[in-house]
Amino acid sequence: MHPFTRQVRDFFVSLKLTVVLLACSLVLVFAATLAQVELGIYVVQERFFHSFIAIWHVGSLYVPLPGGYLVGGLLLINLIAAHIYRLKFEWRKAGIQLTHGGLIVLLIGELLTGLWQEDFSMQLSENETKSYSESFRLHELAVIDTTDAQFDDVVVIPDTKLARSETVQHPKLPFRVVTRAFYPNAALARRDASAPQAAGSAVPAITQGMGSAVAVTPLPITYKPNETNSPAAIIEIIGADASLGTWLVSPELGMPQTFSHAGRTWRLALRLQRAYKPFALQLLKVTHDIYVGTDLPKNFSSRIKLTTPDGRDDREVLIYMNNPLRYGGFTFYQYQMNAATGLTVFQVVRNPSWLLPYIACIMMGFGLVLQFGLSLLKFIDKRRTTSTPAAA
Amino acid sequence: MRTHRPTLVLAVLLLLLANGCRDREVTAYRVPKEKEAPPPMAAAAPSGGLPADHPPVGGAAPGAPAGAPATMANTAVPTASGAGLSWTAPASWTPKAASAMRRGSFAVKRDGGEADLSITAFPGDTGGLHPNLNRWRSQVGLPAASPTELDAALQHLDGQGLHFDVIELVGTANGAPSRMLGAITTHGGNSWFFKLLGPDALVAAEKPAFLAFLQTVKAP
Repeated sequence: MHPFTRQVRDFFVSLKLTVVLLACSLVLVFAATLAQVELGIYVVQERFFHSFIAIWHVGSLYVPLPGGYLVGGLLLINLIAAHIYRLKFEWRKAGIQLTHGGLIVLLIGELLTGLWQEDFSMQLSENETKSYSESFRLHELAVIDTTDAQFDDVVVIPDTKLARSETVQHPKLPFRVVTRAFYPNAALARRDASAPQAAGSAVPAITQGMGSAVAVTPLPITYKPNETNSPAAIIEIIGADASLGTWLVSPELGMPQTFSHAGRTWRLALRLQRAYKPFALQLLKVTHDIYVGTDLPKNFSSRIKLTTPDGRDDREVLIYMNNPLRYGGFTFYQYQMNAATGLTVFQVVRNPSWLLPYIACIMMGFGLVLQFGLSLLKFIDKRRTTSTPAAA
Repeated sequence: MRTHRPTLVLAVLLLLLANGCRDREVTAYRVPKEKEAPPPMAAAAPSGGLPADHPPVGGAAPGAPAGAPATMANTAVPTASGAGLSWTAPASWTPKAASAMRRGSFAVKRDGGEADLSITAFPGDTGGLHPNLNRWRSQVGLPAASPTELDAALQHLDGQGLHFDVIELVGTANGAPSRMLGAITTHGGNSWFFKLLGPDALVAAEKPAFLAFLQTVKAP
């Protein structure tokens, strides 16, 4: 083996690496727990665990820490490498091997969940039908060609591209979309259209749409779990010959904004990121039951109609607490409800690797039972052999 | 072959991670036309959204539903503060959620169509009566009118201690013939705007109900 290859192998097989990584994970969890007070659980998950390097703010200090992907990834490699090179398979150690195998599956499962899990929501009013779910936090700019009477042709630009002020020229758009300003969190208020934005405001001029009568006040990003950020962007549409103007887009603007260009009608909307499904749900009825004679909640349930365009599925389903709908790889949980206004919200989760933690736990449980069982048998056997001569 | 295994494992892991770190891309798709959706902010649950005894779920704010409407549930928008007005809406109007910019919101449905009634309030005179009337005119595709023309088009309505300037505008919104009934009143140093906007025939048919609704608006 080449000396360098051997060095790399020894590094990854090393038990010292395991100890260092476990120590790192302790520090990481400690730092993340403290940071959660300020940042909330979602941001902490993203910054500390779904990253390679985490930056921990301690007062005015910025402390770099190995992120969850780095620690978990190295731990996974370390564990697999140890299995290949250090732990030779023996029946009497089958329990340890199985337990380690379970740990590997658990780590891979967590990695795949971090990479592939979708966690969206679907909000429905009674009799409303939807075939898409929406992100809890991510936004997108939808540029919609509404000319066709039957269909909408939609081009969506993620908010990450707006935040980087990238110019978007898509083959389906006869114009360029240029971001002039993006505010991750902003407050909107009505103002006189003829008055300028607030003095000293760096907000670019808005020449088109209802944004011209709205004052935009950028706000700091909030991390509080009970608050949400409302982004706003000022975008310019530039045709082949000239600019068509600048628009303010925000989920806060109640009315859709439309314009005409090249003989077609377009609509602009900054909205929560959507994920369309190959089926539709219609909310038929929401029910909030209470125990008779009390105000105690007994049950929250939503009766929905599930349909597919090909007509293969057309059935009613009752979704209630702890009884989600599993369909097409998605799980719809009863999440929130307002029975008074006939409104329900489902949490829509897709996690292709959802079985792995269960498999891992079974492997580890079985491995531990096997290992302790083998040790017990060995102990009994040893005791029997040592006690036999004494008896004789 | 044995010596290549770590490299292979590393390569697979890096590929997985690279897959996870990829940026969201611009995408295009075609979807069947939606029925006119209610305005995003109007779709939110009313304040206190969940029943008071609903168990907290998912870590979201109680009363802040998970979708789009939750986005502005708690951000500070300089709308009017102080004591609000109260009203009684016709039973046929469907209450929608209030929001940071709306004090009240209703879906007015009739014959398969739907109009949107919004109630907003802002401090001061928000630029004055005439600019606001012209702003409404622009929303139904009408050019700005002179103060004299606007005054001539105004109707005046006295309700329960409040005076309303009411205007009716016919034009187009979103490419369809539309009608707007708007009413402005002042209370406690704030301007209150009541606006019903929707299909022409529907709003025309709802005018008596709208005027009767204004009569129910009262200060606390």
